[in-house]
Amino acid sequence: MYGYIRPVKGELKVRQFEQFKSCYCSLCHTLEREYGVFARFILNYDYTFLAMLLWQDKGEPSYEFKRCIASPVKKKCSCAVTPPLQLCAGHSVILAWWKLKDTITDENIFRSIPSWIGLLFLRKAYHKARNKHPNFDLKVRTNLCELHEIESSGIVSLDGAADKFALILCASAEDVTNDTKTRALEQLLYHTGRLIYILDAYDDLEEDRAAGRYNPIVVRFSMKEKLSESDREALKTTLDHSQNLISAAFELLPENTWSEILRNIIYLGIPDTCARVLNGTWKKPQKKAPN
Amino acid sequence: MNDPYSVLGISPGASEEEIKKAYRDLVRKYHPDNYHNNPLADLAQEKMKEINEAYDSITKGQASGNGTRHSTNSGGYANAQGGSAEFYQIRMAINTGNLAQAEQLLNAAQNRNAEWNFLMGSLFYRKGWLDEARRYYQMAVSMDPGNAEYRQALNYMNQGGQAYRPTGYPASGGCDMCDVCTAMICADVCCNCF
Repeated sequence: MYGYIRPVKGELKVRQFEQFKSCYCSLCHTLEREYGVFARFILNYDYTFLAMLLWQDKGEPSYEFKRCIASPVKKKCSCAVTPPLQLCAGHSVILAWWKLKDTITDENIFRSIPSWIGLLFLRKAYHKARNKHPNFDLKVRTNLCELHEIESSGIVSLDGAADKFALILCASAEDVTNDTKTRALEQLLYHTGRLIYILDAYDDLEEDRAAGRYNPIVVRFSMKEKLSESDREALKTTLDHSQNLISAAFELLPENTWSEILRNIIYLGIPDTCARVLNGTWKKPQKKAPN
Repeated sequence: MNDPYSVLGISPGASEEEIKKAYRDLVRKYHPDNYHNNPLADLAQEKMKEINEAYDSITKGQASGNGTRHSTNSGGYANAQGGSAEFYQIRMAINTGNLAQAEQLLNAAQNRNAEWNFLMGSLFYRKGWLDEARRYYQMAVSMDPGNAEYRQALNYMNQGGQAYRPTGYPASGGCDMCDVCTAMICADVCCNCF
């Protein structure tokens, strides 16, 4: 459904694609079981990626076949729930809650109605997640608050704004106790967060500029009508650089169950997403020939 | 030391060719050039050391082969040998990862010359603020165009860094070895070139 960090399906083996789907389904089931039926709507690929990164085991997980609201007749394969999936479910609920609150602050009263409705449905789930992950909740609240201050102050620093979101994603590595793994994960997650923030800002460029909303790319490049070629090239280079730092950190992590799928995401999926966002084809559904 | 065969990712009965290939693949992955100025460079260096020890342990007593054992020195970043005495302490702070101290010292520094801009760039790079790093390196180069260290840092930022890519995962729009070989086979079939 949502998320910038996804595999290139055509380059996965059929077995790997089925495994990826089983992890995605399992995150959905975990969200529903622990945080209620409305929490399923915040399911996204980015947190599936995180769950696979935090996975401890190397062997094949056990699988279950379940029906769900998206597949009420045919049972679908889902891998068994593990602590990383539970952590990602909790963290994604907390992040979704604070992002909805942020939207309410930024938008006018009419445009913020869907966010108010979202808050209403997520309220109970958020309180449960916050009790389980109080440190993460504090990190998200603090960094989004600081991000909001940066946005209102008109500071011309793309990195300064991206840093706040990157630190939120970084905070998901805090429960990892192995020092080497923590350092590598923190760098990987920092640059993943930075990449997501910049891609999201680029994706919303036209809308934000038309509505007069803050956009860090508009501010950084003093954009008038369109982004110049040299500025787009500068953005591409900085995204490439983050990708390189992500892959350098990834290779320092121990192998786990999902390593080959993670390689597809990091070496193929992320570059593909960046290219499509920058050339404007990300939001438009593409009919892709199998080549 | 961990089992050398599992460090290289091969079975104990692997042939000499398989051992060398595994070693070369790992060296390519953890080469210092892929961790230039990277906060994780020390972890990559430890991996290289482990790989070299595993390779030495397996090939002990065999012929020296192609002498492909690689150095474990990591690439220079904010090189302590370069630069003035004035900023030596800041360079050491950056190199040892003490970014808070480096930032404090840089903010307190009065002399905002080319080297100051270069060190600000290095600090921001270590923090992950790549766009800011590039801007400071650009300022350093414009203030001191003849300095090779600053120019090298800026070039590195302009190329978007460097990283390992596994075989079979080409850079988007680029070609990998499969494409090169395919092209050569096609050229041979079409025009009997080889």
